[in-house]
Amino acid sequence: MKSLPLGTTNMHEASAHITLRQVLAESIDNLNLSGRRSLLALLGIMVGSGSIIALLTIGGSAAEEAMRTFKDMGTDTLIVSFPYSADNRRPLPSTFDSHALRKAVPGISRLAPLTLHSTRVGHNGQEADAALVGTTEDLSRTIGLRLHEGRHLSHFDRRGTFAVVGARVAEDLGSQYAPLRADDLIRIDNYLFHVIGIAESLPGNPLIPITADESILIPLEGMRRLRPSPEISSVIVKADDADLPTLAESLRSQLAKELNGREVDVQIPQQLLDGLQRQANTFTYLLAGLGGISLLVGGVGVMNVMLMSVTERKREIGIRMALGARRRDIRRLFLLEAVNLSLLGAWLGAALGVAAAYGFIRLSGWEFHMTWEALPLGMGGALLAGIFFGLYPAVSASRLQPVEALRAE
Amino acid sequence: MRDTSAMIALEGVSHGYRTGDQQLLVLKHVTLDIWRGQSCVILGASGSGKSTLLNILGLLDRPASGQFHFAGRDMQRASTDELASIRNQEIGFVFQSFNLLPRLTALDNVALPLSYRGVSRHAARQHAMEQLQRVGLSERAMHRPAELSGGQCQRVAIARALIGSPSLILADEPTGNLDNRTATDILNRLLTLNREHAATLIMVTHDTTLARHFDRQLEIHQGEMHEVVAAGDDKHA
Repeated sequence: MKSLPLGTTNMHEASAHITLRQVLAESIDNLNLSGRRSLLALLGIMVGSGSIIALLTIGGSAAEEAMRTFKDMGTDTLIVSFPYSADNRRPLPSTFDSHALRKAVPGISRLAPLTLHSTRVGHNGQEADAALVGTTEDLSRTIGLRLHEGRHLSHFDRRGTFAVVGARVAEDLGSQYAPLRADDLIRIDNYLFHVIGIAESLPGNPLIPITADESILIPLEGMRRLRPSPEISSVIVKADDADLPTLAESLRSQLAKELNGREVDVQIPQQLLDGLQRQANTFTYLLAGLGGISLLVGGVGVMNVMLMSVTERKREIGIRMALGARRRDIRRLFLLEAVNLSLLGAWLGAALGVAAAYGFIRLSGWEFHMTWEALPLGMGGALLAGIFFGLYPAVSASRLQPVEALRAE
Repeated sequence: MRDTSAMIALEGVSHGYRTGDQQLLVLKHVTLDIWRGQSCVILGASGSGKSTLLNILGLLDRPASGQFHFAGRDMQRASTDELASIRNQEIGFVFQSFNLLPRLTALDNVALPLSYRGVSRHAARQHAMEQLQRVGLSERAMHRPAELSGGQCQRVAIARALIGSPSLILADEPTGNLDNRTATDILNRLLTLNREHAATLIMVTHDTTLARHFDRQLEIHQGEMHEVVAAGDDKHA
């Protein structure tokens, strides 16, 4: 051939290697140029991927919020309770031989029986409602209670009038200038109790029968001073590393034997947690499905825009073919336009989704937890929708006959 | 077997369209050889089949029957990708309605054929600028076709046709939409290309006054082709 330099001697070979960058640049240009028309499809994809991301993140945060309260307790806790039944009204004991039970049922690491009594307490002229909890020294560590000052109950306190005061109660009994301190005395019914510790605040946990902040912990044996016949209402058990269901079963049968046939109910919070998690997962899939549907609608929008674009640009397709575009060049051009459209939509959707989720979660007063899987899922979904719905218009564009395409107006 | 050393060798080519159950023959058994470097004009009234013939010569359409060899290769058996590749490498089109892409600048319009060869965007643009310089439009390179006059558009189209150094230039009524002075300019440019760069030129027109500038004059009447003046046979090697 003639004078014009091209740098390549074998053009047939060169024509097979159109760089991706080149094709990308061209399709982005086309998208820019047909801007306004693409806006609606962009919106569809954006809302689709945005809602997947937002819904998954909100669902994740909601589940996290629900789980958080349970998680503090750890996964190795069992809760024994003694439901009332009409035909067996035998009273429960007021004290409890922890050592005997530990010996009888292997695998127990800690064990805290509870007796409960509601009353008003006073200190320096201030009064407050409090739940008195008769228990042993194991309770604090079993439920993860920490002290602000002072010390925990100990094995040697059993006979004494000692009390560990929960955060809310301590606040109510103290004043701004004279907060309740360790070593203060508080009045409980007709007794003066010696405050040995003030607890830090511990968020409530629906699985354990006490709310630490509103409680005063006293030795189990001391409860008899305040109530004529205290009964142990529940036992919190921390397992070693034993199999929880087996431990629960042996605990149940052993206690039933000791308690003369009273009904014994052993709950495993872990099982509850698992159920909760399953439920949260189902919920999350449901939400993701919802987002998927909006993505589908967005994808149809992309198809619509691309089909319109192919029809409108039929002549352009003819010209490109006349200038040497192969079918795959045309296909790639339109497919990449669809993909660019959905990629842009995916990025905008990601921003929108995260922002919407953040706003919603903050308004709900939860803690924001980014569900990171949502990002690739939402954006990948958008991209897939773009490819899937862009494929048909792109293929139909590439199948046009050059003469017919050139004749179009 | 005919002599297939000709650049274009048509033998018994017929083409038609089906309307309802009637077959409408637009080209009837056309046989034609064109050698490298020749300039041909194809004359004919509208509807005579000359555009159909040009589409076939430009590999935009496949003839319904007959033999077609382009530079010795059988076009009836070539794949669509091969046809596209030959269009890209060997053929430059100049259309009556310019057929520039309205959304691209003059520069990008000219550079477009190179993008289908894998030439980088930068190199293609550089090369396109050189071509625009040759048609005297380098200062309008960044304008869109809508901002250019008809004559300027056709010059851009010529630059685009030439950027791939084609061995064949197909012009379909290239002066049809232009005033007389511009038309003469465009025609001269095409003829100059034919003379100076030995590019084969085939031009379709209904304007018989232009015919005398060409080596060969072919006339199509109701799908049948006749050679008006047999000349330029001395040109083929």
